Amino acid sequence: MNQADVSKLVTKLRIPIPNKHRKLKNQKGPEGRLDKLRKTVTGLFKYERIELNRNRGDEARQYAERLISEAIQHGDCHKATMDAANFWLLEKELIHKLFKVLAPRFADYNTAYTRLINAPRPGYSRVPDKVVLELRGNPYPSLVNKQSNNRLLLHNVLLDAAKHDYRQSKYAEIAKNIPKTEETNKEKLMHKEDSLPVKNLNE
Amino acid sequence: MGIPKDCTFVMNRGISTPYDCARHLSEWHMDSSALAVIDGTNYWDMHRPLHDNCTLELQTFTSEQPQQVNKAYWRTCSFLLGACALTAFKDSVPVILHSFPGPEIHSGSFVYDIDLPSLPDWQPSKQELMTLAAEYVKICRRNLLIERLEVSEELAKEMFIDNKYKHKQIPDIARNNVNGKVVLYRAGQHVDISKGPMVSSTGQVGRVNIASIHKLEGSINGEESHLYRFQGVSLPRSIMLNHFAYNILVDRAKKLNRARLPTKQSAQEESIPDQETQTLAAQA
Repeated sequence: MNQADVSKLVTKLRIPIPNKHRKLKNQKGPEGRLDKLRKTVTGLFKYERIELNRNRGDEARQYAERLISEAIQHGDCHKATMDAANFWLLEKELIHKLFKVLAPRFADYNTAYTRLINAPRPGYSRVPDKVVLELRGNPYPSLVNKQSNNRLLLHNVLLDAAKHDYRQSKYAEIAKNIPKTEETNKEKLMHKEDSLPVKNLNE
Repeated sequence: MGIPKDCTFVMNRGISTPYDCARHLSEWHMDSSALAVIDGTNYWDMHRPLHDNCTLELQTFTSEQPQQVNKAYWRTCSFLLGACALTAFKDSVPVILHSFPGPEIHSGSFVYDIDLPSLPDWQPSKQELMTLAAEYVKICRRNLLIERLEVSEELAKEMFIDNKYKHKQIPDIARNNVNGKVVLYRAGQHVDISKGPMVSSTGQVGRVNIASIHKLEGSINGEESHLYRFQGVSLPRSIMLNHFAYNILVDRAKKLNRARLPTKQSAQEESIPDQETQTLAAQA
């Protein structure tokens, strides 16, 4: 039992990893698969948002995530990481981008570094599923229109008004109770003052 | 699908509407667009013909700046409430629509003031409110397009000859309008006066509740009347809300909405017809 647990030797990625790799069928076999993935990873680092078939996108995403997480962990003075970057990035200026731009950008992230979004698909067509693969923090406009926090949306306006109304009614209630308690306090004081002279008299 | 790009439409002047442009784009644009913005400033109905070269932006209920869309939606809800009240009652109960105040979403409910001369003391039960809401939903399900009509004063007077309140308002509205016309809105068989704009179709109305009906005390210009304030709350179909949160809104809508009461108690300081206040609201 002296063998190290492999899963603890590498950083854990924050994306789901399937048990089996995809073969990405092509004439050159496994070598051709790697060629395809290298092209995709290079494209992703270059353009920050690409649209492609699901299989290839999901497979390339895992390698891109691994590369970024190694770059963050080891920096640019680590031989093995540099070799990996050299292998995966076909355009060599992107190696600088990886260590100087992307590693600092993602250093504080506690989510995955990439995002995979389903792309629309023309109805009744036999084309493969498309996805959009993008690096987080890219300069393009957001693809998902999720605005549940936009206070100007109709339901939020209504809810805010209801909240305001509720609070006002509560404040009014509190304000109503304040003079009463003061009066009761005064009354108590009065009683005490009344009682004091009586005692004095008794003495 | 694909990369968004700038495009120019060549449309027919005075015939084509923003809705026609949306039809060229996609079904999604057709269904979800509620209001068009012309040249970045003018809010335009989806079914109002375009008159000149312009830039066009289609807004939905989930746009980033939906204030005007919300107002148009609230106005449409009031308008449809009138249509719903006209169809829901039996023929033996005459229904005379009075007016609806400008859209105020903060008040928590949309409103229509309706005169029911044969019902002096009506306390609507929960069942009756639900029936009204069911009628409302029926209108929405028909997915009627809401059209804008501009008519002359005489024609408008002829159209509203049965309705004493609207009939009285028409000359005033025509005078205040720039070209002396009266703006009407039509959904199916129902036609009503309103300043506009309104949303594209009744199918965009989603969840709806008629929350309460309050009897308004007092009289209109010294005449005896049985005015009731119909109040409801609703959300567009594209906005989903948790049922608990929605019930909070319904409970709030049950309280009397004090927006511009038409009866005499409050009407002394301002006796302007609703369409004018709507302009004010739109300008503000």
